[in-house]
Amino acid sequence: MEKSLATLDNGTTCSSWNYSGQRLATGSVDGTLSIFDSGDPASTSFKCTSKARVGESGVVKVVWIPPLFGDAVACIDGNGSLSLWEELAEDAQAVEWKHSKSFQSNSAKVLDVQFGVFRTILKMYVQLVIVFVCSSQVVAYSDGQVKVYELSNPLELKNWQLQAEFQNLTDSVAKLAKASCFSASICWNPQRGDGQELSFVLGFNSDTPQLNSSKVWEFDLDHQRWVPVAELALPEDRKDQVFSVAWAPNIGRPYEVIAVATHKGIAIWHLGSNPDTDGRLSVERVALLSGYEAEVWQMEWDMSGMTLATTGTDGMVRLWQSNLNGIWHEQAAFEPTT
Amino acid sequence: MPGLAPADSAGGGPDSVNGALVPYLPDSHVSAIYPLRHGLNPPISRVSVSWGRGNSLRVSVFRQPDSDGGEVGGKVVELTLGKSRDGEISDTQWRKIAYGSVSPFALLQSRKNSAASLSRMQLSPSPYHLEWWEYVMEYSKDISALLGDPKSVGAPLIEDPNEVFIKKSEEPSSLKAAWELMEMFYVDKLSQAWLPERLVDWLADYDSLISVDLPTVHSKLVEFQSKIVTLQVIEDDPRYWDLISSALAVGWLEIVVKLLRLHGSYRLDQLGRRETENGLVEAVAVLISKMPRMRPAIDAGKHGECFKAKPDFVKAWERWRAQITKLDSSAFWVQCDNRQTREGLKNVLQIMLGNVDVLCSATCHWMELYISHFLYIRPFTAGLESMYSLAQNCIRLKHTSNPHKLMRLMIGILGENNEVVLSECSRGFGTWMVAHAIELLTAGSNEADFLVHEERENLGGISLEELHRLVYAQLLSSHLLTWQIAPIYLTSCMRQGMGMLEILLLKQPVQENQVLLKLHLFVQNLEICRLYELDGVSSRLMEISGMYHWKHGRKGCAVFWLQQAQDEVRLSKIASQLFESVGKSISGESFKQWEGLIELLGSEGQPAGGLDFLHKYRDFKKCLQHADSKKDADAARQAVESLMSLMRNASTPQRFWLPILYDAVKLLSWDKRPLINVSQTNLLLNKLQELSLARLRPDFVEPELPTHALNHVRYSLATNLGRAILEES
Repeated sequence: MEKSLATLDNGTTCSSWNYSGQRLATGSVDGTLSIFDSGDPASTSFKCTSKARVGESGVVKVVWIPPLFGDAVACIDGNGSLSLWEELAEDAQAVEWKHSKSFQSNSAKVLDVQFGVFRTILKMYVQLVIVFVCSSQVVAYSDGQVKVYELSNPLELKNWQLQAEFQNLTDSVAKLAKASCFSASICWNPQRGDGQELSFVLGFNSDTPQLNSSKVWEFDLDHQRWVPVAELALPEDRKDQVFSVAWAPNIGRPYEVIAVATHKGIAIWHLGSNPDTDGRLSVERVALLSGYEAEVWQMEWDMSGMTLATTGTDGMVRLWQSNLNGIWHEQAAFEPTT
Repeated sequence: MPGLAPADSAGGGPDSVNGALVPYLPDSHVSAIYPLRHGLNPPISRVSVSWGRGNSLRVSVFRQPDSDGGEVGGKVVELTLGKSRDGEISDTQWRKIAYGSVSPFALLQSRKNSAASLSRMQLSPSPYHLEWWEYVMEYSKDISALLGDPKSVGAPLIEDPNEVFIKKSEEPSSLKAAWELMEMFYVDKLSQAWLPERLVDWLADYDSLISVDLPTVHSKLVEFQSKIVTLQVIEDDPRYWDLISSALAVGWLEIVVKLLRLHGSYRLDQLGRRETENGLVEAVAVLISKMPRMRPAIDAGKHGECFKAKPDFVKAWERWRAQITKLDSSAFWVQCDNRQTREGLKNVLQIMLGNVDVLCSATCHWMELYISHFLYIRPFTAGLESMYSLAQNCIRLKHTSNPHKLMRLMIGILGENNEVVLSECSRGFGTWMVAHAIELLTAGSNEADFLVHEERENLGGISLEELHRLVYAQLLSSHLLTWQIAPIYLTSCMRQGMGMLEILLLKQPVQENQVLLKLHLFVQNLEICRLYELDGVSSRLMEISGMYHWKHGRKGCAVFWLQQAQDEVRLSKIASQLFESVGKSISGESFKQWEGLIELLGSEGQPAGGLDFLHKYRDFKKCLQHADSKKDADAARQAVESLMSLMRNASTPQRFWLPILYDAVKLLSWDKRPLINVSQTNLLLNKLQELSLARLRPDFVEPELPTHALNHVRYSLATNLGRAILEES
């Protein structure tokens, strides 16, 4: 029942499909970004159409930028620096992938990056990048920091302004020193329409327990700042390192669904939409999918937000669903074989 | 909330399967693991997933990077999950069904909506109005016609006497069989009175489907058919009599009569010797062909006498039975010296007399036994009364460990368990079936109507009906050729359909490599947005398209789509890029490049983002260039007019005032005579004054001009004022 779509070069380490599933970007250990296209929309065979050298060290993560900003990707390399590349054809020249921006820090590494699109009532775009940096060096300022950047000109990806910088803590007063983070996972609320709150969920895998638990951050338009509105962990699980988070598309549920993977399993959370007097949203853990020994690498919701696909260190692809009674279970598993 | 499709009532399978939202792998158990073949040599370092269209899941498998660089580094494979349909149907046929079912579905929905609005207005439907089930019946017939028509093939023109059993040229599909079952039980009110006879017909059409797993009367017939020519004396073969009993038990009278007439006693050379035997065979054949049947009509070529009214039927039945009993006790049997014939025919009579044991041994699976009960033991059954307990008895007698999906559906229907019916539809026949058959189910009962329309908290507030439509629509959107019909189903879902439609549309590519197809698909997507009033989505799509063109050097297309999207922010950014390049030089190459774009921007009725200014500025620059190169006074005067109109116009951005005035120095210092009069000069001086004040504000942007520009302009204006005063005085 499987169908081969593309063959990847030796040394490929990561891949990412664009919004329509028509283009594939891959990164490799030698720092090459490859773009795959299919010649014909009905065809299911994808061939490499362009390559660009994006860094000296290997690419560890590729993320597509939302299509409202052209065809562009963000690459995180092995040194933890982040660069943006976009497909451009200038002045009647051939289409080429060009570098448009680098985010570098001497002391810290970028762990994850995700893009959100937001439009205010005035129809002004704000595009945000979140950059996570953390360091093994003792530089208090950048340990486990979250940086939010805003694109100043929607026509090009060159100019970004630092909009906010904070740590993944519910208590905004506390400041932590010496965090050492291994990985982080961010997921934007996959909202569709305009005028919704801008929010994302973020979890860390670090040696600092306070940073770890997944928190939902929302942008407070009135005060122009990011505030944590919910924590997706039971009191006893708050220190658990988070491997991955995934926010399900919401096609009309009165609540949001977010999956959080820790070593205890995959927790499915319902997030209410009405804040209490403190501005906190109600949360409920509706399922803990355990019996899944492996560490989760990645989680992806389908378009309806009803099926969750996961991968992990056991190499298996698993599909999870709730039945009509709201009981979550593993619906199927696929084991890659030769 | 009531549990859906509990495991025990569905006849096997764990709860998780029966209650599954999307039956990806219908017969899977919780721990089922499927292989995913990628063809790579180990070691595998990582696996990543991404959802493609609809239900397709793309899996990237990466190998541990190789030092020698020889090996392939990874594979990307696509898995299409979920069962759209019965496995028997080909892709092309399936798409035909998918497309064909759209219009009956849409028609029924619109009728439902208008009926709902009528009842909201508390208008009673007019007396000429059809009953609701009649609309559903029409829908059901339309859909049924799509699923193939096994009945359409009649007998061959030249009848082969040995051909007892006519094979249908078109293989019947389980999908159609299931559809017909649903139709006869839930929708067709007219046939409720003769339901058993409808079941007899149904089994005659579809018994072959059940033969796949089990021996059936049909499979016995097919087997015997192939042997028939090799048999010298057919009546000596026990299979012959066995088959006659079996076919009679399930009511295939014409086959029985045909088989009986193959009896050796009919042969011409036998006439003199086997008259009594032949008479008995013929008597039985005649009795069989005269069997009274409680149904309005019967197809040509089929046997039996039809009765519409029950009292007539009862009378005829009793008369018929009396004739059988009379024949059974007749003295002719003693004179019949062929033992095989005598016993075979006696057995046939026992079937007609409703002997349970004989019926049980003549039939193969429970459905056949069940049908034989209606024909010979309980001929007066009408409606669903005690049908379920009878079915259970039959199942007990003919137990099978792994019941066919049609049988599972049948049990659900007879058990009046709507949850099981729904779950069997989805499990056995796929998402298409359940999304469409819900209409049949709800036509039948209020209880079913409540079940599928109840808003369920566990599902985020949607009903089962919507859920099944969403699941089907998601499957439709998995394929490039079917996604366009998904919106019909999504828009029929009040609560979550539109949300999913938005996501679906936003996932559609705005660019394809083939230009014609690209435009066609894109315009089609916009049309879908317009149809369903999804303005936000269509402007998002147009913005994406605009940006794609912008980045790919097609600036004209980009501006067009951004204007369509009314994307003020980007258009004003483009305008200011234009301003900059226009402002720099009037003769430079970049100006020429932008000129066409300004033309395009100006052609719109309502130019966006101060672009009408650009149009005027372009005209001014052109006149100025003309005047400068040819020293033409007319052109210079025209340039002055443009200048004044620019400076009077409130939409001219302040940052352009100085560059414009600086350009105008040429006009101010026109050597023949002053071109700008006193009042005009005063206006320009006022603007300059205003500009000087504006420069004090922190947000003021200095134009890129030589440092002496301002003084130069001020000096030129003063000089011109002096010259103008002299000229006018």
